[in-house]
Amino acid sequence: MAQDWKSFEPLLIPDIPNLEKIEVYEENGGYEALKKVLNDQEEWSRENVINEVKQANIRGRGGAGFNAGLKWSFMPEPDGGPRYLACNGDESEPGTFKDRKIFEYNPHLFIEGALIAAYAMAVDTIYVYIRGEYISWVEMLRKAVDEAYDRGYLGDDILGKGIDIDLNITYGAGAYICGEETAMLESLEGKRGYPRTKPPFPAQKGLWNRPTTINNIETLSNVPLVINNGADWYSNIGAEEHPGPVLYGISGHVNRPGVYEYPTGVPVMDLINEVAGGIRGGKKLKAIIPGGSSTPVLRADQLEGVSMNADSLRDAGSMMGTAGMVVMDEDTDMVDVLWRIAHFYHHESCGQCTPCREGTGWLEKVLIKIKNNEGEIKDLDLLLDLTTQMEGRTICALADAAAWPVRHTINRFRDEFEARCKKSVHAVA
Amino acid sequence: MSEVFIDGKRYEFEGEHYLLQFILDQGLEVPFFCYHPSMSIPANCRQCLVKVGTPVKDKETGEYELDENGERKIRWFPKFQTSCGTKISDGMVVLTQESSDEVARAQKDNLEFILINHPLDCPICDQAGECPLQIQTYKYGPEGSRFEVQKVHKPKRVQLGPRVTLDAERCINCTRCVRFTQEISETDQLTIVSRGDKNYPMTAPNEEFDDPYSLNTVDICPVGALTATDFRFKARVWEMDQTPSIDITNGKGCNIDLWTRDNEVLRITPRHNEDVNDYWMPDAGREAYHLFNDNRVSKPSIKLDGDNQAQTSWNNAIETFAEVLEENDPQDFVVVGTPHASVEENFALNKFFNLLGASNAMFTPHIIPGNGDGFLITDDQAPNTTGCRLIDIDEVPKDGLQSEIQNAKVVIILTDDLVGRDALSAEDFKEPFTISLATNHTDTTKNSDLVIPITCVAEHAASYVNVDGRIQRSLPAKETKYTNRRLNLEMSESRLDRFGTNFDNWVSEENKVDCLPLWDFLNRLGDRLGLDYHYNHSRDIFEEVSDRFETLNGVSYERMDEEQGVQLSLGQQEKVKQD
Repeated sequence: MAQDWKSFEPLLIPDIPNLEKIEVYEENGGYEALKKVLNDQEEWSRENVINEVKQANIRGRGGAGFNAGLKWSFMPEPDGGPRYLACNGDESEPGTFKDRKIFEYNPHLFIEGALIAAYAMAVDTIYVYIRGEYISWVEMLRKAVDEAYDRGYLGDDILGKGIDIDLNITYGAGAYICGEETAMLESLEGKRGYPRTKPPFPAQKGLWNRPTTINNIETLSNVPLVINNGADWYSNIGAEEHPGPVLYGISGHVNRPGVYEYPTGVPVMDLINEVAGGIRGGKKLKAIIPGGSSTPVLRADQLEGVSMNADSLRDAGSMMGTAGMVVMDEDTDMVDVLWRIAHFYHHESCGQCTPCREGTGWLEKVLIKIKNNEGEIKDLDLLLDLTTQMEGRTICALADAAAWPVRHTINRFRDEFEARCKKSVHAVA
Repeated sequence: MSEVFIDGKRYEFEGEHYLLQFILDQGLEVPFFCYHPSMSIPANCRQCLVKVGTPVKDKETGEYELDENGERKIRWFPKFQTSCGTKISDGMVVLTQESSDEVARAQKDNLEFILINHPLDCPICDQAGECPLQIQTYKYGPEGSRFEVQKVHKPKRVQLGPRVTLDAERCINCTRCVRFTQEISETDQLTIVSRGDKNYPMTAPNEEFDDPYSLNTVDICPVGALTATDFRFKARVWEMDQTPSIDITNGKGCNIDLWTRDNEVLRITPRHNEDVNDYWMPDAGREAYHLFNDNRVSKPSIKLDGDNQAQTSWNNAIETFAEVLEENDPQDFVVVGTPHASVEENFALNKFFNLLGASNAMFTPHIIPGNGDGFLITDDQAPNTTGCRLIDIDEVPKDGLQSEIQNAKVVIILTDDLVGRDALSAEDFKEPFTISLATNHTDTTKNSDLVIPITCVAEHAASYVNVDGRIQRSLPAKETKYTNRRLNLEMSESRLDRFGTNFDNWVSEENKVDCLPLWDFLNRLGDRLGLDYHYNHSRDIFEEVSDRFETLNGVSYERMDEEQGVQLSLGQQEKVKQD
């Protein structure tokens, strides 16, 4: 599977000019999946749609990799009250910049996917939450949504089939935490973006205490593909346990950084060397962060035979995350890299839970000390200790996301950190 | 009956319980900061971590699976759980810091985090001595700190509103204050601003934290971040006495504690009573401490030529009072009781003048319609309106009182600023000889011919019946010139009281007011008049009252103490008047 990635034709962002215009999208088979479902609501009952998606095994593209259809099936039976689908377009993790491609090049695919999801879960209102910095992409999506309303794909009595679904676009003010699903719900409700304690889970009590499902933009964009071509077709794309097309966001020291669509399971080295055109300036590869800044760093020597799917990366000691890969060449100072990541999490911790609020700051301050050649060897052990004190003791996973890079970067580049500490102005202990 | 095992010991339970509250209810302890029994559970301080497991049941038989030792197999939660938000379930096994080193370590880790940016300024912090952070750090925290980098700096000495001062650096972001304004006082005046370790509570820009309940946030703040502007730096908590009492500034009768040092009331805090005020009280009630310290009538005064009053001796005051009573026909006396004084005082006064042959005492309610908020602030401005009704003091409207007084020769007014609250005017005092039995100098005492200082709620034991018909009592907190803390078993003693002598510089005679309990003064006046009237203690009066009035039968100080006040079943008459 991994070898024939080169012949793959993009499905999420196909190379069709002006696809963001609804006429072009329709000409190229757009909204067919929606029509297929709505025209035959017996064949495509809500349950059948969910089962099809579940069987296709679309794994959440927001980072957690949870089966989307399974998530949909957690919604309770309709009781006549409002139900919500919240679409997470807050992508704020450093190294992640894929959803904006969809907003820019194929917004109707996402709208169609969201509509099918809303139909399947008997949702009447869709919220799309986009990060505040993406204001141009908000405008692009808004235009697409207006077109969809004009053509009767959104609003009351969609395509004359008796289904009413509304779609609202909101954007945040630029806080990373608002991409955490329950913090996003709080933010949507107009409150401070503090993650909620679970239980209750959003499917029971989500937006305004009503049943709510939260899906990533890219995840939903995969749904029309499944409906059009069937679950079997879909689950045969890419890696077995983690199928489908994926938007790989490649950044860092490569010749051609950017977002590339390929199936899951492309070998990491192929992505770097062939897709992204190799390391800039002919340098040697030092390390990668495979799926956004919270996923553990992998040294070049750990990458042999590793491909971009959840299982392979887990075995290698990291995670798939959002498939936003950061590539670092041999000149990269890992102390600086880690400090910069720690700085990000320190800046973005919402401050609700003690271990994260205090821990992220402490991590950064000690790393600054090491970076400024004032570190001591004991500081490395302190950092590792702090990561255990933070991990798994907070409401959401931000503390974990802050702790993992510190633990793994120090463990995997211990020499480099120790060397920096030994250069320290302080006597070596 | 379901069962739960905490640190290896079995406890039974029924219904739904959160683990932390259940543990606390058993008299056990798990440290916590953000949890408050009367508010929502945010689980954000992460201090109450425990290890939780549930027994494994065989899916087919529903029986507990057993391990090789015959013990139930336990499936442990992979992460520590915050006990505050964990619901207990049948067979649950819980390990707290008492039996698990892992849990103890996790709690210690958390305290280490809380303390890294907390200024360790306990020596100058008002919260010290009653600080959950300080106490729990001693018990569960790390020794010393590994934090060798710079602390975060945040705003200090921020005047959030007229009554509350914020030190944001001390704040541990438990959000109790924010939740209080959202859930209890419902003003939504506070929120957390900024992010991460720069977080602190704040009002919206240009908004004042003028919530009428704002000072409750100071009570529930688990650190010294929110302090009462009024009380800051006034006293260390361990220097003060804490005496249970009743809020007398409105009709609700919030249960309170009076905090005194050297016979000055320095602050008032609410005392938990689920049936009255829960953990809360209005700010207005806290400011009443001024009434107990300042502007007190100390020593009797008498009006000389013109309108000048001069202090006089008790002997002279009693003599003058007696002469006035003797010179006039008791039919020409008007005795004015008050909802601002206790059941005992009103009764003792009425009884005294009934013995002399005067007609029944009367009172004018002090009610401002629309002033109440349906929570703890009432229309009724007085603590004992219902009490006056219950013991048959005649209720008269304002103008009724005025016309009664116009025909009187002698008017006796129990502590009530009738002039100040526009029930009477200074003009009304021109004709009759007016005697005020008062705690504080007011427009009423200023116009009186004779002013007798009496004890206030902070100085005597007495009972008050609130708007809901609940009778509750005060205990003496302040000494007068004639009482002695060591001889009065009802008075509490702080360390300073216990070990101090009159030669110590924290003991000052000036803070003791030269006044007498009303009944004690009437004893003396009665002796002079040859009246068969004598009470040794307000308790004697209350016993007589509870015997005499059916609604109060069986009520005693002991019951009020044990049951945190006694709910009376009001007669139809009181109820109608209530509406």
